[in-house]
Amino acid sequence: MLDLETKHQNTWCLGCGNFGILNAFKNCMARLVEEETSLDEIIMSCGIGCHGKIFDYLALSGIYALHGRSLATAQGIKLANPDLKLICFGGDGDSLGEGLEHTLFAAKRNMDITLIMHNNGIYGLTTGQFSPLSKIGYKGLSTPQGNIERPFEPIPLLLEAGATFAARGYSAKTEHLSDLIHAAVRHKGFSFIEIMQPCVSYNNTYQLFNQRVKLLDTIPINRMHTLELARNKDEIYIGIFQQEEQTVYHESFYSDTNPYKQRLSSSQRKEMMNEKE
Amino acid sequence: MKNQVYSILVGGKAGEGVKKAAQVIGSILSSHGKHVVQMDDYQSLIKGGHNFSVVSASVEDVFTVYGTFDLIICFDKRSIDEHAASLKPGGSLFYNSDDGDFADGIPLPLSSLMKRHYTDPRNVSIAATAVICSVMGLSPDLMSSVIKKQYKLNFAENIVYAQSVYELVQIRSAFLLNSVSNEDYKYHSGNQLIVLGAWYAGLDFYYGYPMTPASSILHYIALKKESLKMYAIHAESELAAINMAIGSAIAGCRAAVGSSGGGFALMQEAFSLAGMAEVPLLCVLSSRPGPSTGVSTYTAQEDLLFALHQGHGEFSRVVASPDSFERAFTLAAELLSLAWQVQIPVILLTEKHMSEGMANLKLNYSKLPDTEVTPADLEAKYERYQVTESGVSPLAFPGDAPSAVIKWSSQEHQASGLRTDAAADIVLMKDKRQRKTKLLIEAIRAFQRVAEYGEGENLVFAYGSTVLELREAQKHCEIPFKIIAPIYLEPFPEAELLPYQGKIAVVVEHSCSGAFAEFLSWKLQLKSMHNILKYDGRQFDPIVLAQKLTEVFNA
Repeated sequence: MLDLETKHQNTWCLGCGNFGILNAFKNCMARLVEEETSLDEIIMSCGIGCHGKIFDYLALSGIYALHGRSLATAQGIKLANPDLKLICFGGDGDSLGEGLEHTLFAAKRNMDITLIMHNNGIYGLTTGQFSPLSKIGYKGLSTPQGNIERPFEPIPLLLEAGATFAARGYSAKTEHLSDLIHAAVRHKGFSFIEIMQPCVSYNNTYQLFNQRVKLLDTIPINRMHTLELARNKDEIYIGIFQQEEQTVYHESFYSDTNPYKQRLSSSQRKEMMNEKE
Repeated sequence: MKNQVYSILVGGKAGEGVKKAAQVIGSILSSHGKHVVQMDDYQSLIKGGHNFSVVSASVEDVFTVYGTFDLIICFDKRSIDEHAASLKPGGSLFYNSDDGDFADGIPLPLSSLMKRHYTDPRNVSIAATAVICSVMGLSPDLMSSVIKKQYKLNFAENIVYAQSVYELVQIRSAFLLNSVSNEDYKYHSGNQLIVLGAWYAGLDFYYGYPMTPASSILHYIALKKESLKMYAIHAESELAAINMAIGSAIAGCRAAVGSSGGGFALMQEAFSLAGMAEVPLLCVLSSRPGPSTGVSTYTAQEDLLFALHQGHGEFSRVVASPDSFERAFTLAAELLSLAWQVQIPVILLTEKHMSEGMANLKLNYSKLPDTEVTPADLEAKYERYQVTESGVSPLAFPGDAPSAVIKWSSQEHQASGLRTDAAADIVLMKDKRQRKTKLLIEAIRAFQRVAEYGEGENLVFAYGSTVLELREAQKHCEIPFKIIAPIYLEPFPEAELLPYQGKIAVVVEHSCSGAFAEFLSWKLQLKSMHNILKYDGRQFDPIVLAQKLTEVFNA
């Protein structure tokens, strides 16, 4: 039985959507291990926010990075040792606010990394302000008169930026979510999963999502169709919207090199210096 | 002849190949036994405007360029207007006679010759190579081989054009004639030397964003990808760059970033992350006049306090500044090695003058530090922030340590890397990180921390490229003085500078606030006799600096 426990006290609110994400993720890890992936190869990178606490609840190597920068840090890890499987956790604020440029560039580069975005539609940990994905009219501490900005559409945005795998899950449908995470990790290229995650404290969308979430049972026929399905608010489709293979950044950059495993030793550099002379 | 320095100025529009022309001149002089130094003055534009480059050469060491010239080569009229007054008595000024007349100069119809000899005329700059070869009395064959190497495009036309200019030059320089061939010395810029030093100490990755005068670090590393197996990534911003560098470091590769003041401002938070998470990171801060965007293509020393206090929160860092081109090479290696030994961020502080200046030298590898780091004992359960006596925890990287859970964190943490806000944990970790300072100071003892040049009762303090200006000024100052140049600024080399505590000295810096003088007053109770401040973005002409010093000492 795979044990990823850390014994760290869990401080998510009772009923938080993050529990579902954590369970789905653990099940996915168990499956990867069964498929002979070593846990040592799996690196997690979290930002700051309620989502980020997952770092303390999983006995996996990685970094509790800066707010918005977890994807940048993860790219640096990947480039140093491309044999590692990088799984980035982000919140809607972390990934599409503070860290927007890193998210878009990771997609643009088709970096072989998975981004799991916990979309609760607000900033939870800092007590309920609006986020880049909050609906118009949302009243939080920084927008007491109601949010006046339109939210981004994450999946269309990421697809436009170049993501080669884009999916949506729901934190309350853990089995389905676990499969999505598995597919994302196995996908070679930039994988984006938007997880609809209710926040019991500031944005309790359980009822809304339970009514509207629907399994994506059609394979979108083209990009227009994909975007239409992704944008639908009356029926919130969950499933894989896009999955295609394209060249990944690190292979274009240095082919099948592994800079960490093949790094030049001190004596090799000494020798090369002497040869230059 | 002792102290004789031969200086050459090449002037023209941006895009005309002025800098390259000067580099070729510098290379030629270098391979003919001269000590050479070069400085490029250019504007923030791509074509037009006015650029000029200066090469100063001597049989002895020459540390910085001079402001009056033995030879001036003008590609356009503006260069004549700007620089004719700086020609030394007995010097020669060659100018492009197709762009105006100048009675006191030697006309060369460069534009018409160019149009005659090229099907696709670009610029007249190869004329500079022809002029120097002729003035040095070098053979046309030698000139051809230089051009073949340095100007590969349109090689055949280049030779014919150069030959046509060469034949028109009758002047010969007594100083440069019969120069002895010498290929031992290599011509490098400060930035290139920093790269080579860092590479030697194990640099694998560099993440950057173009910003003058640090951009050439990014370019040079990108060029050396295949030959040195070192990777340069031009990231989407400085924020990306430094966080990516931290990522590569925690995966076990040595990484560096570089920028100027503004870019560094963006990197502050992640610099602080390196302090908290204990990530080894080399940062190159090459200054230009500020504040803000400032004057992008000129030089200054306005970032001393900024470098010393990079990153919010309390944690150790090293800040050191190379006082010579040789030092740029060795210091980069020392700093990267310190970063990995103590697991802290380190800053190599320099300025445009050193970064983009060029000099020829024979690289001395004997002084480079040994840079291997002892791996973790992986028998025991691994904890990234294991509390040790020295404060330094053993490092482990993914793949090396089966079943090890290696957690790095931007938050305060327990030894395991898991987050904490408990009072006892906070104190434990802060003490641990603080303890590393002792090890750091020990480790720095292996390196030269202060440089001193000359003897005399009069003391002059400076750091970075200002020391180049002072060493050259020393040759022209009748009153002897001693230059004291701290190389390591943080941790401050108290022991080495103790003899100067409470003393009176002159402080020279490229700052308008005199921050270095204040810093010395704080650290050393140094009493400034006089601050010589230059903050117009330009380097000191050593003769002018010598005059200023003489005035100050006489007062």
